[in-house]
Amino acid sequence: MASIDKPIEEYAAVKTWFTGLRDQSGIDPHDDPSRVAFLKEFCATLEMDPDELVAACLLKKEGRETKISIKGRRSMAERIADFQAAGTDARERPKRGNTIRSFLIHNGILLQSGIQI
Amino acid sequence: MEYKEVIGRRRTIRFFQSWRPVEREKIQIMLEAARIASCAVNATFLKAIVVIRDDIPRETLDAIKTPVSGLNIELAPVHIYTFADMGAYKGAQARLKKLVDVGALNATHGWSHKFVDEFVWPNVLKPLAENANQPSVAAAAASDAGIAICQAMLAAVDEGLGVCLSAFQHEHMNKILKAPPEWIPLWVLLTGYPAESWEAGGQRPRPPLEEQFFEGQYGKPFKGDPKVTEQLKAAKMIQAPAPLPWRKEEIKALARMFGLPE
Repeated sequence: MASIDKPIEEYAAVKTWFTGLRDQSGIDPHDDPSRVAFLKEFCATLEMDPDELVAACLLKKEGRETKISIKGRRSMAERIADFQAAGTDARERPKRGNTIRSFLIHNGILLQSGIQI
Repeated sequence: MEYKEVIGRRRTIRFFQSWRPVEREKIQIMLEAARIASCAVNATFLKAIVVIRDDIPRETLDAIKTPVSGLNIELAPVHIYTFADMGAYKGAQARLKKLVDVGALNATHGWSHKFVDEFVWPNVLKPLAENANQPSVAAAAASDAGIAICQAMLAAVDEGLGVCLSAFQHEHMNKILKAPPEWIPLWVLLTGYPAESWEAGGQRPRPPLEEQFFEGQYGKPFKGDPKVTEQLKAAKMIQAPAPLPWRKEEIKALARMFGLPE
């Protein structure tokens, strides 16, 4: 477990996320400061850095093949739901959860959350 | 809508107006379109069970989602669960003779009741019926079911609906559906009014004609005539390819409307 010890944009997973937001979703990653703020808060809650969040959803098999871990993904989905529910503003809650989901999805972690309205 | 345009407008719709029910008559139109589809030995391989999503208990709805189909299943107000009925071979003898009776199968092509009873049934159909679990037999049944499903999909498009063929976790859903064991689960045909534009971002990328189809033998591409291509564009069968310029903005708007990740 590690905390964030460098600018968050320098983590590989954050770079991947930003690239996905720009190229796939047509979104400027910096257009909304809450995006990075939510990720930092989530990382602090789990005491993980962004790269570790992604790694926690993966399963290393025989030291070489990496597959998506169903257990890891479910556990992460539950933590995101808790993080979402912890928002103080009802309108902000879905945004909290979806920011983290977006981060993981653009890093190749399958997370279909369903409607958050 | 003209036939070619219906083909051209069909897309896999992934955003449905989850709140808007589908008129029962439109579902019937889809089923009727499937019912009259081409089918080998006049066997109705396709079986389907129509379910209104809101009649499915929440825990079952969650359980039938596959990793990539969860949102589609949740948004579509009508679910049509499709199956290939491996028992359909069983009545084929009588159905073939009915085709003889109505003049669809004729002596001109070698057909008679006696031919069905003494050759086709014992030598062709009975072995198929008795070996329905063989992959080639199941594939043939699934192929016919797919043809019928396709007609239902196109009828839906003609009625202004959106459709999406999706996988589902059959073992959970079958507690409600109670489908017979000889029915092989295929897809759930998700149906509803599109929440995205009917273009859904444009016609999907497909390989050119020459890569997929051949003439005479494999390796000799079937060459299309550019004039025909232009005719199909005029008939709206070949449409503007994805992505349309505004697609990303549309997805952003949909994501925000439904509260989805971007």
